[in-house]
Amino acid sequence: MTAVMNASTKTEAAAGAVLSVRHLSKSFGGLKAINDVTFDAAPDQVTALIGPNGAGKTTVFNLITSILSRDAGQVLFLGRDLAGMSAVKIADMGLIRTFQSARVFPGMTAIENVMVGGHRLASRSAASEMLWLPAARNEERGMLRRAEQMLDLVGLAPFKDTQATELPMGAQKLLEVVRALVAQPKLLCLDEPAAGLNDTETRELANLLRAVRTLGIPVLLVEHNMSLVMNVADQVIVMDSGAIIAKGTPSEIQQNSRVIEAYLGREHHAAS
Amino acid sequence: MLEFLQICIGGLVVGSIYAAIALGFSLVYRVTGAINLSQGGFAIVAAMIGYTLGVSFGWPLWVAIPCAVTATVAIGTALGAFTFVPGLARLSNANVLMLTAGLLTMIEGFALVVWGSQPYAMPPFSGEAPLVFGPIRVPTQAFWVFGATAVCITALWILVAKTKLGKGLRACAENPAAASLMGINVPRMTLLSFALATLIAAIAGVTVAPTTSLQFDTGRLFTISGFVAAAIGGIMSFPGAIIGGLFLGLLTQLATAYISSLFSTAISLLILLAVLIWRPYGLVHAGTGKRQDTRDEVKSVGHAAKLPVSLAWSFAALALVTAVFVPFVVTDNGILSGLVIAGILFMTLMGLDVLMGYAGQVSLGQAGFMAIGGYTSGYLSINYELAPLLSIFAGIGVSLACALVLSVVTLRLRGLYLALATLAFGLLVDSCAVGFLDITGGPSGLVGIPSFSVAGVEFATPRAMYYVVFALDAVIFLGLTGALRSSFGRALKAIRSDQMAAAALGINTVRYKLAAFMISVTLASLAGSMYAFFFNFLSPEMVGTGRSLELVAMLIVGGESTLFGGMFGALLLTLLPTVFQPLAVYKTFASGALLVVSFLYLPQGLYGAIVGMAVRLARSPRKAVSKEPASETSARAL
Repeated sequence: MTAVMNASTKTEAAAGAVLSVRHLSKSFGGLKAINDVTFDAAPDQVTALIGPNGAGKTTVFNLITSILSRDAGQVLFLGRDLAGMSAVKIADMGLIRTFQSARVFPGMTAIENVMVGGHRLASRSAASEMLWLPAARNEERGMLRRAEQMLDLVGLAPFKDTQATELPMGAQKLLEVVRALVAQPKLLCLDEPAAGLNDTETRELANLLRAVRTLGIPVLLVEHNMSLVMNVADQVIVMDSGAIIAKGTPSEIQQNSRVIEAYLGREHHAAS
Repeated sequence: MLEFLQICIGGLVVGSIYAAIALGFSLVYRVTGAINLSQGGFAIVAAMIGYTLGVSFGWPLWVAIPCAVTATVAIGTALGAFTFVPGLARLSNANVLMLTAGLLTMIEGFALVVWGSQPYAMPPFSGEAPLVFGPIRVPTQAFWVFGATAVCITALWILVAKTKLGKGLRACAENPAAASLMGINVPRMTLLSFALATLIAAIAGVTVAPTTSLQFDTGRLFTISGFVAAAIGGIMSFPGAIIGGLFLGLLTQLATAYISSLFSTAISLLILLAVLIWRPYGLVHAGTGKRQDTRDEVKSVGHAAKLPVSLAWSFAALALVTAVFVPFVVTDNGILSGLVIAGILFMTLMGLDVLMGYAGQVSLGQAGFMAIGGYTSGYLSINYELAPLLSIFAGIGVSLACALVLSVVTLRLRGLYLALATLAFGLLVDSCAVGFLDITGGPSGLVGIPSFSVAGVEFATPRAMYYVVFALDAVIFLGLTGALRSSFGRALKAIRSDQMAAAALGINTVRYKLAAFMISVTLASLAGSMYAFFFNFLSPEMVGTGRSLELVAMLIVGGESTLFGGMFGALLLTLLPTVFQPLAVYKTFASGALLVVSFLYLPQGLYGAIVGMAVRLARSPRKAVSKEPASETSARAL
C-alpha cells in the first residue's frame, strides 16, 4: 500500500502520508465545532482519533468524508483535496468508510453484503452480465471466492447465507468492516466500530484490525473504546472541544496529563 | 366578466371538495407518515349509498344523507382497522401507499358490483332553483358545499388544536415512538385519523354529488385531485391543503372554460410537476419537514423468496416445455388470447420489478410508457406503413426521451413524492392520449393497427403471437436474470435499502437508479407496442392509470423482487376473468382485494408460496443427500 503522491500538488502534506488533514475548521452557527485540526495518517499504521463526548471526532470524520462542508483547511487524500467530492468519487479513490451504526444492507445475505463491497473493482458491464458472457461469470465467481475467504477470516463463513440483519450486532459490525475490506481500500475509515459491542466482540474486532494492518492497509479509527485504541493503534490523536490536545503513541498518550485532565476533569485530577 | 365570475364560483365549489379531500390526506399523513389513497373511494361510496337510500328507497334526504355518511364511516373504520393499521406496522411507507391504492381499487370494484357502471345524478338538497344575485346565478348546492367544507375545516381545527385527543394526534405527528412511550395508543390514533379522513371524504362526497354525475370510478378523480391539491399546497399543513384545493379547483374550471376540457387535467399535472421540482414541500411550507424520516427507514425489507440453483434450472426447463406445448392443449382462442396478454404484461412487470422490487423506486405510472410505445408504433405503422419492428424501436426511443425528461423530476424524489410524480406522469399521458385526437384517435381509440410482422411474415393469430411473446419473454427474463444475479442486481438492492452506505462503497446511485428506470421504460414501451399489434387497436383506458395500478397489483400478488413472480400475478388477474366470464364484473374488486391481502398476508407473493412449497417437497424425500449441494449453491440462487 504505497501511497502515490501527486508531485504537482504543492502542499505541506507530510511526505508519505495517506491522509493529510490541514488546519481544518468548522462552525455550526456561532459555535466553533472544529478549530484548526491538523494531523496525518501514515501508511501501514492504525491512526486513532479519540476524545470525550462532544470533542468533535465525528465532525472531523464527516468533514474528511465530505458529508459536511468545511469552513477552512484542507483534506488531502493521496495528495488530492477531497473538497466537494461526492461520496462515490471518494470511494472510487479508495477511501472507504464504515458507519457508526452498523449499516448492513437489509434484504441481502451476509455474503451478498460482502460482495457489494467488491462493486468498485468490478469491470464487467451490466450488458455483459445480461448476455451471460464468460468474462462476467468468471469475475462473479472470483468475487464470490474472495468474499468467502474474507468471511472465513473473521469466522463468519458458516453464516454466509444468513440474512445480514439477522446476525448479532457484533457480527454485523465485523461484516461491515469485511465489506469495506473487500473494496480494497487505500485507507479504511472506521466510525466507532466498537460502539455497541461487548468485550468478546471488541476483542474479535481488535484481532481483525491487527490483521488489516498486517495486510498493509492504513486505518483511521474514530473510537470511544480505550482498550481497543490502546490495543491496536500506532498513533493516537486526542481531541477535546474541537481542537487537538495531544498526539503520540498509545503509551505516550496514557502518560499525558492534558489527556487525563480532558477525560477525568480538572478537579478530579487536582485532587489525586 | 360575468362569465368569469360564474366560472370562478364553479371552480370554488369543485375546489372545496378537493380541499376537503386534501385535508384528509394531510391529516392522515401528519399522523402516520403515510398516504391514504382510498379517500376518494369513500366519497363515492357515501354518495352512492345516499342515492340508494334517498332516491331508490325514497327516504327523505335529511335521513338518507346522515345515514349514508355514518354507514361509510363505519365501513371505512372497519377497513382501516383490518388493513391500514396492521399494514402501517409492517410495511414501508411506499408500500402502505400501494396498499391504499389497493383499497381504492377494491372500493371501486365494490361500487361497480353494487351500482354498475352507469352514471347517477343526486337531487340537490334544497331544490333546483338557483339563488340569483343580480346577474349571477348560484346553485343552492354550492352553499351546502361551502358550508360543509367550512364546518369540516373548523371542526378538525378545534379537534386538533384544542382537545386532548388532538394533542395525542399531534404527538403522533411529531414523533410516534416518543408518543407511544408517553402512553399514547398510536394504532388507535392512526385509526382515528383514518376514520376522520373517511368522515371528511364521505361528507364531501354526499354534498358534491348533486353538482356532478357519479360513476363507480369517479372516486379515483377525487383521490387524485385531492392528492395533487395536497402536494401543491403542502401536505404538512392544513391551510396548505385548503389553498391547494381551491387553487386546483379554480385552475381546472378556468382551463376547461377558456382552453379546453381535454387539457385541464394536463395543465394541473404540469403545475404539480413544476411544484415538485421547485418547491417539493408545496406552496405552504409548514417548517416541520422531518415527519417523513421518522418511519421511512425502519422498514425491514422483506426477504425475497429464493429458488436454489439446482431447482431453478429444472423449473426453468419445466416452464419452457410447458410454455411450448400449451397452445397444443389449449385450443380456446379466448384463453390463448388471455395467455398472450399475460405474456405481454409480463414484459412490463419484469421491468417494473427491476425498478420497484430491486431498486426500490415506486412507479404508479408505468402504463404511461406502454401508452407512449403503443401509440407511437400504432401511429407510425398506420400512417407511414413503417415495419412493426422499426416502429417498436421508434416507440422505445420516444419513451426513453420522455423518461429522461421525467427523470429530471424523479431522480431527486423519494417515497411519496416519487409515487406522486409517477402517478402524475401516468395521468398526463392519459389526458394526452384522450386529447391529441389526430394522433391517438381520442377516447374512441386508434383503429386499424396492423398485426405484428417480421420481414413479411405476419403473426396474426393468437397462437402465432403466443410464440412471439413468449420467446421475447424468455430472452428478456434470461438477460435480466444474468444481470440481477451479479453485481448489477446487488448494486440495485444495496441502493434500495441504504443509498448512503451504497454510495460510500462507490456505487453511483444516480446512474443505477437511472439504469433501472430506463430498463423498465424500454420493456413497458415494448409491451405497449406488442399490445397494440395484438389487438390491432389501442384506446386510452387499455393503457391508462387503471392499468398502472393493476400492474402494481400483479407484481405484488405475484411476488416482488423475484423477477418471475409477476408472471403469476399476470396469469391470475388476466385469466380468471376470461375463464369465469360471468365473474368479470368482480375483476376490479378482486384485483384490489388480492393486492391488499398479498401485502398483509403473503409478503413474498404467490412466487414465495410456490417456491417455499417446491423447496420443501424437493428436500423431504432425500434430506441427507440434498443438504450438501443446497448450502453450496443457495448463495447464487436466483
